Amino acid sequence: MPHPSNLTQGILTKRIPCWPFADPKGRHIVGWDEYTATGGHVGLRKALALKPDEVTEEVKKSQLRGRGGAGFPCGLKWTFLPKVTIDASGKESNAGQRYLAVNADESEPCTFKDRLLMDFDPHLLLEGIAICCYACRIPTAYIFIRGEYHHQAKVLEKALAEAYAKGLFGKQGLLGGSMTGKGESFAVDCYVHRGAGAYICGEETGLLEALEGKRGWPRIKPPFPAIKGLFGKPTIINNVETLSHLPSIIENGADWFCKQGVTSTIGGPPSFGTKLMGVSGHVNRPGVYECELGIPLRTLVESKDYCQGMRGGKKFKGAIAGGISMGVLGPDQFDAEMDFDIGRKYNVLGLGTACPTVFDEDTDMVAVARNIARFFKHESCGQCTPCREGSGWLYQLMSRIEGGEAKTKDLDLALEVATSMGSMPGTTICGLADGNNWAIRTIINKFRDEFEKRVKPTFVPVKMTVGAGARG
Amino acid sequence: MAWITKNSGGMKIETRQEPYLTPAMRDTLSRNILPRYETKHGALLPTLHTIQHEYGWIPHQAMMEIAAFLDIAPSQVVDTASFYEEYWLRPKGRHTISVCRSLACEFCGQPELTEAIKKKLGIDVGETTEDGEFTLIEVECLGSCDSAPVALIDESLHEWLKPDNFLAKIDEARKHGAHGHH
Ligand SMILES: Cc1cc2nc3c(=O)[nH]c(=O)nc-3n(C[C@H](O)[C@H](O)[C@H](O)COP(=O)(O)O)c2cc1C
Ligand code: SF4
Ligand code: FES
Repeated sequence: MPHPSNLTQGILTKRIPCWPFADPKGRHIVGWDEYTATGGHVGLRKALALKPDEVTEEVKKSQLRGRGGAGFPCGLKWTFLPKVTIDASGKESNAGQRYLAVNADESEPCTFKDRLLMDFDPHLLLEGIAICCYACRIPTAYIFIRGEYHHQAKVLEKALAEAYAKGLFGKQGLLGGSMTGKGESFAVDCYVHRGAGAYICGEETGLLEALEGKRGWPRIKPPFPAIKGLFGKPTIINNVETLSHLPSIIENGADWFCKQGVTSTIGGPPSFGTKLMGVSGHVNRPGVYECELGIPLRTLVESKDYCQGMRGGKKFKGAIAGGISMGVLGPDQFDAEMDFDIGRKYNVLGLGTACPTVFDEDTDMVAVARNIARFFKHESCGQCTPCREGSGWLYQLMSRIEGGEAKTKDLDLALEVATSMGSMPGTTICGLADGNNWAIRTIINKFRDEFEKRVKPTFVPVKMTVGAGARG
Repeated sequence: MAWITKNSGGMKIETRQEPYLTPAMRDTLSRNILPRYETKHGALLPTLHTIQHEYGWIPHQAMMEIAAFLDIAPSQVVDTASFYEEYWLRPKGRHTISVCRSLACEFCGQPELTEAIKKKLGIDVGETTEDGEFTLIEVECLGSCDSAPVALIDESLHEWLKPDNFLAKIDEARKHGAHGHH
């Protein structure tokens, strides 16, 4: 059933031409003047007229869920910060030093959605940052961008220079020292901090370590970053796409936001809003599409508005759900709806980054498993034994199966190793090991016959009873 | 023959009179970067980037200088520098070719691409050409999966690659000769 889309233009991609609304050939970097001339900073102005807690309340009401992979409710996360006291006259106590760490690490294989926003509409992200900082009373924000995004870092630096020159950021206070609902102006500084090539720095506490100049080893939680984060101070970590949603939510209101997307069909929290979906692999027109959450994968792939069908008219075989950590959808799951229910409904880890890589019928799923296993072996930071050792074992096993040297029992061993690692069984510090587990386990389970064809049978001795117990 | 440039296997320890962390660099860092962080240690990644960008690798002596500059132990600098893949603890070629080997790229033609580059340059992945022009490495997803396969030559991304169109790009990079350290 095709998803009835109400969208007539992009929201996050309002200024970035994307199919089906506009031809991507018209993409260009949107500077400050163009941004303000096309409705920029309306959300921020509106936010500054409110009290910080009213902004947080609106974001909570929108039920915006994090777009970085875990889908945690954004407004709720903000409320975990230490409370400020507000006296009878409405004056707030000083919240002290707090930080916002913007997660622009985008290193999850098959994911390329934050990049689109940073490539072409950097001021949207900066406005989102300003709104978050005001709501959370945060005076300092760092945009942590992966090292390989050289061009994007330059675009952001340039946009930041403009934003400082125009008085958005800097010591005079947000938007040229505008009076705020707090009864005074509120100043924010924002910096770009470049990573240096390590997937694990996308994990929020690994990211904080990298900001502190250390190796990116994730921290044990609790304490949670909202209480004790960067340099030991309360810290909010949000994804680029999550923050880019804030200007339109504040401008149009939470009720407007909740009109896009879908409610849960299994009694879970809703999946409201639009989402950038980056489709890659064996489709005719790969790319980033802004869709309402809930669009079926089949529509995304087959519709003439989006990917325009499988490449070469081939059959759909499977897809990565949203970044390789989420696991795969099998041949009979082409109709899966791309929303936050997907994990429970289709036996994958979750929606992740909502960037599916699609495979046609000719794809060797054993090779897919080997590629993924190699990635995790390479990127495991090594501090937890089940992850360090398990990722190595899984890569060896997958390589052996691909090379035709493995036995049937190796398949069970792989499943056992995978299942035993992850923060969910409670054996590791961060979610990287869960991703490894889910990816390998779902591929083996959903494509078991393909794996079985590649392994040699294990001869199990037939059960025999000998000696005293044997009956003549 | 090629020399091996893999990052593992220790680092080269040699010294020279002239500092790697020049007075101009110290000045820029002190004015623009250090004030951004609560601790001096916080400025370590940007400082390492400065050295990497200037020299194409991070000599041991530079790490000692950075330690003194940021008031941290040399071992802390080594710890961080050796963790991140963008920092090279040994010299590499003038140009770095980084081919994405992650999922979307592998299944859209990356293996043929890597083979063609290896053959053209006469080196394996992880090696540098005899003339010091090119180092070839494979990296994980570059966030450009819709135009797979992709590769970086130094800091520029090249998309929708086919062996022949990319080999021409390599020739161009050689001609331009400008060093693309990062
Ligand atoms: C191994 C690992 C890698 C991650 N990489 C990223 C990433 O590159 N970008 C991102 O936004 N979140 C990433 N996350 C999720 C973050 O930990 C965190 O949940 C997210 O940045 C929070 O922002 P959000 O609530 O706005 O989504 C990663 C998580 C794990 C476990
Ligand atoms: S689970 Fe893996 S990546 Fe995460 S902290 Fe442990 S060893 Fe590091
Ligand atoms: S898999 Fe190669 S760019 Fe993403």
